[in-house]
Amino acid sequence: MIVAVSGINDTDNPGPGIGIARSLKEADGNIKTVGLSYDIQDPGNYMDFLIDKSYILTYPTQGWEPIMNRLLHIKDSFGLDFIIPALDAELPQYIKYQKELEDFGIKTLLPSMEQFELRSKEHLQSVSETLGITYPKTVKVFNTDQLKEALKEIGFPCVVKGNYYKAYIVKSMPEALYYFSEISNEWGFPILVQEVVYGEELNVVGAADKEGESLGLVAIKKMTTTHLGKIWNGVTIKHQKLLEVAADFVRNYRWRGPFELECIVKDDEITLIEINPRFPAWVYFATGVGINLPYRVLKSAYGDDVDRRSDYESGKVMIRYTYELITDIKKVSAFATKGESDE
Amino acid sequence: MRLENLAINKNGFAFDPTTGETFTLNETAIKIVELMVKGESEKSIAQKLSEEFEVSSQEAFNDVLDFKERLKLYGLIS
Repeated sequence: MIVAVSGINDTDNPGPGIGIARSLKEADGNIKTVGLSYDIQDPGNYMDFLIDKSYILTYPTQGWEPIMNRLLHIKDSFGLDFIIPALDAELPQYIKYQKELEDFGIKTLLPSMEQFELRSKEHLQSVSETLGITYPKTVKVFNTDQLKEALKEIGFPCVVKGNYYKAYIVKSMPEALYYFSEISNEWGFPILVQEVVYGEELNVVGAADKEGESLGLVAIKKMTTTHLGKIWNGVTIKHQKLLEVAADFVRNYRWRGPFELECIVKDDEITLIEINPRFPAWVYFATGVGINLPYRVLKSAYGDDVDRRSDYESGKVMIRYTYELITDIKKVSAFATKGESDE
Repeated sequence: MRLENLAINKNGFAFDPTTGETFTLNETAIKIVELMVKGESEKSIAQKLSEEFEVSSQEAFNDVLDFKERLKLYGLIS
């Protein structure tokens, strides 16, 4: 079995790919992994203890055709049975062309486009209502006049965020204007102005099979985060209501594939902040406590019986750390000249 | 009551398995929490504290009430 993963940028803003690859390798040492990379300096390209072969792909903004051709080249030259895409920017294309991939003998287990759209901030309000939880007061803005109006309505401090990416807490008008420009320059419009919700930041990772049945859930609390809000240390928890909300989410929307729910929880009041239709970068944490979701996704996609239990222990801690890998410039040059690692 | 679910080790490190929050308790606080979880009244807890820690039962009673307010603040009791 040869499985490709993207998001192998294992940096201080890590992608999920390395955690996925590690989970697969730990479950079955015979699985070969392919790294799909957008940058020759992605650490995953050099982590040959987890990634057997890496390829540089064109950016998703260049369209699907070059990506598809590259995947077919990988299938012909190295072999490729299954792909677990893990980056937000590439997911719409993989979702759209999942049937085409299957026709070429490359399987995926991904949500439908309708399910993917649930993550849009425009839909989170109705998702929250369906799940019986709350969503922060949010105003959509397209220009600075609307921004100023929204700030008057919501007040400071508040959150200025993109429709899909980036979020900053702002305490003043200049700060709000600064981040409005920064996010819109990078990701476009709309920009959202949102009330700040106070409480514990609790997240759930989960996955579901192609019938929309849960493959397992793990809830965690972020103990420390980086300046970008990415988890550094975390602890597993058993917040019954939060886990029930995640199970309801899978049931209600007949979800397919991996997901992460980001919530703020105060006592029993749960506020939905984000739905990520992919594995989070901390997915190996779930594997480490016995819930190997990437492997369950892979096996279930092939119709195999899989363990669906979520019987992990609370109080298990993830400590992320940095590591230096020393390699040779020849390996860098292989990517620069051939666009793939040497075997 | 979240207090009942706290996992407290002998050094006073407490972990709430529902929310992932952690707390540090001193010796007196551990004693009060243990007695509260057993369902003992504030007066009874104060009496036991005064016997063990050489404080008057009135002073201990006030401390128990003060501590309970702190627990409410953290959402550990209602």
